[in-house]
Formats: sequence, structure tokens, C-alpha cells
Amino acid sequence: MDARHTFEFLTNPERFMAFSRWAAPWLGGLSAAAAIAGLVMTFLVPEDYQQGDTVRMMFIHIPAASIAIFIYVCLGVASFLALVFRQALADLAAQACAPIGAVYTALALITGSLWGKPMWGTWWVWDARLTSVLVLLLFYLGYIALRGALEDEQKAARAAAILALVGLINLPIVKFSVEWWNTLHQGSSTFMAKDGDGLPAIYAWPAVLMGLAYLGGFGALWLVRIRALVWRRKARSLSMKLAEGER
Amino acid sequence: MSFDFDAGKYAVYLWPAFAISALAFAWMISDSLLTARRWKREAERLQAELDENQ
Repeated sequence: MDARHTFEFLTNPERFMAFSRWAAPWLGGLSAAAAIAGLVMTFLVPEDYQQGDTVRMMFIHIPAASIAIFIYVCLGVASFLALVFRQALADLAAQACAPIGAVYTALALITGSLWGKPMWGTWWVWDARLTSVLVLLLFYLGYIALRGALEDEQKAARAAAILALVGLINLPIVKFSVEWWNTLHQGSSTFMAKDGDGLPAIYAWPAVLMGLAYLGGFGALWLVRIRALVWRRKARSLSMKLAEGER
Repeated sequence: MSFDFDAGKYAVYLWPAFAISALAFAWMISDSLLTARRWKREAERLQAELDENQ
């Protein structure tokens, strides 16, 4: 079987609808189970000797921030497929993931700010990490606004896809900002930390579970939102057929 | 091991962060499901109307 057939369900709306009908509830259920287990462990682990109880903020802040970046990668790939290969379903996928990405990014900023105040003594600082994540949010909002601003849906889709591709430049800046510049935000201290500066094992389980919950939540919401856009496109096409029939 | 819900002086930062996250997910889930259901019903209604006219 070649790759074209393997991924046909992602390009064929009917097959996608059949796939997503069972995949969305399964992903949603797994995500909810991971969230419940992750939250239970969040409040079972002891407080950190330096950060006290604010360490629990890590289990909602890091997943929101890392999945927000992952969602933008999905937005970029879907926009590329829509722009270059004129895949209608890819365009709907891009359109569907932008609002979810915006909410995840906003959550990363809000929870980060609520974590920053007791730890850094400030709600906000214009350092490279925080500013680049704010820019990420602006790219998401810009994408949503651009799609809504133009009346011609095809033009709007093309313009928004170009904006999404331009925004990909920001992703390495978000990721490596803590290494390239001297920032208030700490470097990676989770699974990719160097020199024994990693996450203590006791915090790893809630971090992994909450990460899976946020990832699965995105997957389920993305599928449901694509389904909504497929139904909307069908409704509009039927509405046009009806209008033609009345003439 | 027992549950530790007493965040002490950090409660004013911790609980709003969890509450805002929970509200955001509740909104995303309800908005996504309601929008999907609305467009599905609309498409089915229009399909039925089209079938009647033919």
C-alpha cells in the first residue's frame, strides 16, 4: 500500500467523517481519563522545596505551552497542503485548529503570568520567551481575523495560509529563545534538561499525564471542529442547490 | 501520600490558574460540540428539503 492510499482518509471528506466519528470520542475519552489521573497526581505530589505549591502550576502551564506550539505546526502543515496541493480538507483542518491553538496559547500566557508573579515578582516581562509566545498568540488571532475579514472564502483561505506559513518562523524563536538570549524564563528543566537539571521523577508522572490530556484534548476538539466545518460546507452547497432549483 | 489542596499564600495564584484552564476547556468543548451539531442539523434539514423538491 503506498502513502497516497494510507493517507486517503485524510483527504477524502467521506472517509474522514467515518474515521473521525469514532476517533473523536475515543480521543476525548482517553484525554479525560489522562486529565483525571493527572489532576489526582498533581495534588498528591509534595510541594517543591523552592517553589512551594506553585510547582503544581507546571502541570497545566507546560502542556498548554508545548501543545500550543505543536498546534501551530499542525496549522502550518495543513496550510501548506491547502495552499500547494489545493486540499480542501487540509484547509478546513487549518481553519479548525487556529481557535484551539489561540486558546492553548492564551492559557500558557495566563498560567505563566500567574506562576511568574509569586516566583519572579512580576506578572509580565518583555523577555524573549514571553514576547515570542505573545507573538504566537497574535499569529493565531491574525489567522482567525484574516479568514473572517475577506468575503471571498478562497481568497481568505489563501491569505490566511500564507500568514500561517510566515508564522512558522516564530516557532524556533519560541523554542530556543531561552538559549539564544538571557531571559527571566528558565530553560528546559523537564525531559530535555542537561546536566542533571531535569524534572524529579516524582513530578514526571503528572507532567506526562497532563501532557497526554492536553494533546488528546486538542486531537478530539480538532476532529470535532473539522467535522463542523465539513457539515457547514455541505449545508452551504445544499443551500446553493436549493436556490438554483427555485429559479 | 495524601491530597494537598492547601496552597497557603500561593492559593491566590494557583486556584485562578486551574479555574481559568477548566473554564477554557469547558468553553472549547461546548462550543465545538454545539457548532458541529448545529451545522449537521442544518445540512440534514437542507438535504431533506432538496429531496422533497426533487
